[in-house]
Amino acid sequence: MNTSRYPEIKPGQKWIKRFYLAIMLWTVGKAIPVAAKVDKEVKKEIDKLPNNFTLRLMVLPERAFPPFFYAKMLPAFVADKGLLPYGLQMILHKDKEGKLHYQGADPRGKKFDLSMAFKSLEAAMMVFTFRESSPTGYAHDRFVVEGYLPNATIFMRVLDIVQVYLLPKLIARLAVKRYPSWSEMSPLKKHINRIIIYVRAFTF
Amino acid sequence: MLLPSFYDFCCRVRTLSGINALEQIPMQLGRMHASHPMIVSDKGVGAAGLIDKVIQALGDGLKIGAVYDQVPVDSDYKVVDDAAKVYRRNGCDAIIAIGGGSVIDTAKGVNIVASLGGDTLLAYEGFGAVKHPLRPLVVVPTTAGTGSEMTLVAVIADPDRKIKMLFPSYFLLPDLAVIDPRMTLTLPDFLTASTAMDAMTHACEAYFCLEKNPLSDSFALRAIQLISQNLLNVVKTPGDLHGRLALANASAMAGIAFSNSMVGMVHNLGHTVGALCHVPHGVAMSIFLPYGLEYNLGKSADVIGELLFPLAGPEAFHATPKKERPAKVIAHLRQMNEALHAATQGKHPRCLKEITGRDGAQLVPRTLLPVIAEAIMLDGARLTNPEEFLPADALPVLERAWEGMPLGH
Repeated sequence: MNTSRYPEIKPGQKWIKRFYLAIMLWTVGKAIPVAAKVDKEVKKEIDKLPNNFTLRLMVLPERAFPPFFYAKMLPAFVADKGLLPYGLQMILHKDKEGKLHYQGADPRGKKFDLSMAFKSLEAAMMVFTFRESSPTGYAHDRFVVEGYLPNATIFMRVLDIVQVYLLPKLIARLAVKRYPSWSEMSPLKKHINRIIIYVRAFTF
Repeated sequence: MLLPSFYDFCCRVRTLSGINALEQIPMQLGRMHASHPMIVSDKGVGAAGLIDKVIQALGDGLKIGAVYDQVPVDSDYKVVDDAAKVYRRNGCDAIIAIGGGSVIDTAKGVNIVASLGGDTLLAYEGFGAVKHPLRPLVVVPTTAGTGSEMTLVAVIADPDRKIKMLFPSYFLLPDLAVIDPRMTLTLPDFLTASTAMDAMTHACEAYFCLEKNPLSDSFALRAIQLISQNLLNVVKTPGDLHGRLALANASAMAGIAFSNSMVGMVHNLGHTVGALCHVPHGVAMSIFLPYGLEYNLGKSADVIGELLFPLAGPEAFHATPKKERPAKVIAHLRQMNEALHAATQGKHPRCLKEITGRDGAQLVPRTLLPVIAEAIMLDGARLTNPEEFLPADALPVLERAWEGMPLGH
């Protein structure tokens, strides 16, 4: 059999989905460090993580996002700004002083203490289009965790709170197990913090 | 039930169950090309004569490389490292674990260090750290509750950091589980009660928590039925070998179920009071189980109601209107705890304030409840609980469980 007659079938690039996920990861990555400053609950959770700690949330397989392929050639200090996402990754670093920083999507030269990876693009889409909440995604094996599990539970809790801030109630209710009641998060506090998070995350 | 859109189920533990199952070990180990196993166990198992019973059953077919019987109740990584040195020093090529959850988990830890190298188990902490197959591991459970013989995880303490470390990997699944009722025959009544209620909790949580799937459901339902039908009889008649075999099988089945569908807030609370107050795991499970079901009624009432069939039998199930079944399940479990309390002359606690240490001191002081409530956030079982479970939710549950009062809605 002449196998050369059978061309290799390449999977579709799924440009729109990849672009959507890159935007979502970038948005969440930028928002978490700001949320850690303005929300006591997020701060309390982040404080539980050890200092000098790096975590990433990514989508497998690990490969560069084609339009930003050339971001690989950029020096790390540019890629670390997170302005040019390369690959579907979101890297956060808690420094020696306990401050959280978004470090973009460039894994080069970084050692990860916690890595959470969606098994596929479709798995990530299920969660980021809120057809599955993050705990349901976890229950349905949408992602794999490498690292210390209690740290992963801390990150999941942070992700829940940040989603409540970033998303309108109608959508956020699909993303979390229980939307915070008034006693847990007053509407005034929610709206003020939401504005602060959006403004600070995308202006500084 | 609705099928989950995706699930992952794996159980590849060869299981031998029966009154003379122990005698099969040499042949099975021979098939795995092992002839020089190390026995891992604890002093209590040794004192009950169970190690001798296994060695006697092995006959001349195997040369025991070493016997390590120093595993404490709450095993830690230092014990594992110590046992791994004994394994290497004696040139062993397999492990036979004889004991309860702590011994089995320690044996899994020893297998990691002994097979993969290194000096300490700490190097293999967390998900994804064990990446290669390990040496043959044979598990002979001496309690009917932990289900560790069927699980892919080892829980081992780090006394320096005061935490319980998780070592999850498919390579940790034992190669052979030997369920022989002679091994649980000497188990005292209160331990029989609490360990079986631990298995009951595994099965119930596997059935109603988020990662449930049809395969784990089938194991969970049969496990619940076997425990419900046999537990009280075995506590009252300790020499009932067939009852013991049924409980040991139920424990293994519940182990398969929860290993593939995870657990929820009952284990979340149980792990936390275990780590902070040294409450025996089975005792914590039997107390928290009715509260876990009650707390999740809002989202999982229908699924919880289905548990009435294996718990109380088909007649009781059909005689109960659908909307009353969840409450009846919870009442049935509370009645079981009451009956076990009476059958063990009060040694099976019904609430947190009744748990005492060997010196008679209360293990869970009421003042510690807020600390326990905060600490639940570090346990992964929280994620698969159907309802959100945060410290503010945990505190009232703990307070009711301390008093022995139902949660109420």
